[in-house]
Amino acid sequence: MGYVAVSGGQEAIEASIRLLDHCRAGGGQELELSAVQQKLGLLIDRVMGEAGLYAPDYAALVLKQCEGCVEEAVFLLRAYRSTLPRNYYTQTADTDDMRIIRRISAAFKDIQGGQILGATYDYTHRLIHFDLKNEDPMELLRRVREELECQEPQPPKACPRVSDTLKKEGLIDTYEPDDSEPFDVTEQMLEFPAPRSARLQTLARADTGFLGGLAYSVLRGFGAIHPTVGELRTGYVELLVDYPFGEGESIWIGEILITEVECFSEADGEKEMKLADGYGVVFGRNENKAIAMSVVDRELDLPGDFPARDEEFVLMHGDSLEMNGFISHLKLPHYVTFQSKLDAVRKTRKKPQASGEAEHGADEESQGGCNEE
Amino acid sequence: MEKKRFFRILGRASRQQVSALAAPYKEKQRITVIKEPAKSLAMIRMREPVKESLFYLGEVIVCEASVLLGQTKGTAVTMGDDFEKVLDMAVLDAAVNAGIFQEEDALLILEAAQTAETEKENALYLNTMVSFTAMDAEEA
Repeated sequence: MGYVAVSGGQEAIEASIRLLDHCRAGGGQELELSAVQQKLGLLIDRVMGEAGLYAPDYAALVLKQCEGCVEEAVFLLRAYRSTLPRNYYTQTADTDDMRIIRRISAAFKDIQGGQILGATYDYTHRLIHFDLKNEDPMELLRRVREELECQEPQPPKACPRVSDTLKKEGLIDTYEPDDSEPFDVTEQMLEFPAPRSARLQTLARADTGFLGGLAYSVLRGFGAIHPTVGELRTGYVELLVDYPFGEGESIWIGEILITEVECFSEADGEKEMKLADGYGVVFGRNENKAIAMSVVDRELDLPGDFPARDEEFVLMHGDSLEMNGFISHLKLPHYVTFQSKLDAVRKTRKKPQASGEAEHGADEESQGGCNEE
Repeated sequence: MEKKRFFRILGRASRQQVSALAAPYKEKQRITVIKEPAKSLAMIRMREPVKESLFYLGEVIVCEASVLLGQTKGTAVTMGDDFEKVLDMAVLDAAVNAGIFQEEDALLILEAAQTAETEKENALYLNTMVSFTAMDAEEA
């Protein structure tokens, strides 16, 4: 495809950018960043996950800047992160010790450590709460703080993974810890077949809708599995980096909220059936994405022609920034390339003066169109 | 106190609490900033439970600072972009390294309050622990 630069339009473009302020101005109400961060937490989680950058306050800021547009917010965060040095790699985060705020299993009703529903919309009536139109935010805060203060302190306990039990029974394959340095898709070009680390990193930062659609296609028949969520756990994970002035010491840099999912499905063993495990993990409480990721992770291990089994298809088309950037470019000026297409179409409408001449002319035109494209 | 615990208490404390702890050292000691507070990224390394392999989940924004207290180095890294807090954390780290840190009791009081808050929050989540009863007999 040929690209031709266009010039002009500076004043109109500047006016257009100014007009965005009119879109954001609303009726003059303040949109406090802390309110965006704390009251629209699931949106913040989605933006951070698709940006691959855990920064709740910055996610709130960019959402304010772009009127809540997820792909624009992801673009802004990705652009900003590219301006920062990366001076640290964390020690391997230990999700076994996660401070759990939600943990469920669709496979077993009784699991060691118990099922904790946590905060979920799963069991709510999907009815609009019209009383929220006149909600008193301070009264809401007072009520939840009062409830918190009334609690009898309970120390958090680590919960074993549901899959650990099945591994002990030999129903799920076990592996020795692999300490190979992970592939980093932010610094290296993906090649296929992709290492598992590249797959997981790519899926974790993939567009939520893309992953959901892919997993849905698997469940509807464009794949072989209808997995069971063996465990979904949401909780806080501590992040540590090495302390530079003392061997064996660590700096606690903070904790992040993540959701992990393991889904189980039947698989053929050498002699008998076994269970296979798919894994999903995301920033925050974006649990449908984590489930979808676990479905796709498992599906990618299987041979076949379904879209969700095509590694290149899956890993190359789900990045929010890349997909939306490419689709968005379609609305920018393509005057010369379209003129070429238009000319080619118009010329086919001309009446041929002689049959031999018409054939010759059509050949030339289609060739000319190809050259311009 | 090990550094991990030390930085956990400071990291979970408010800017004002950290500032109050660092104030005596900033007043009485010669502090030289050797690395001005600045933002950086930390890549999060994780191990997945299926194949037990390592992968990168994503990055987190942190800020970092290093100081000299007299001739002793101190450093700090914490999530977010609170430059004032991270600088004070580095001062406190240097005070510990120089052997002049005298606020351990205050740290333990802060830690106790943080733990109580976490445990009360945990109790809220445990209120949602569920025991489902199967309505049909399950196969063994």
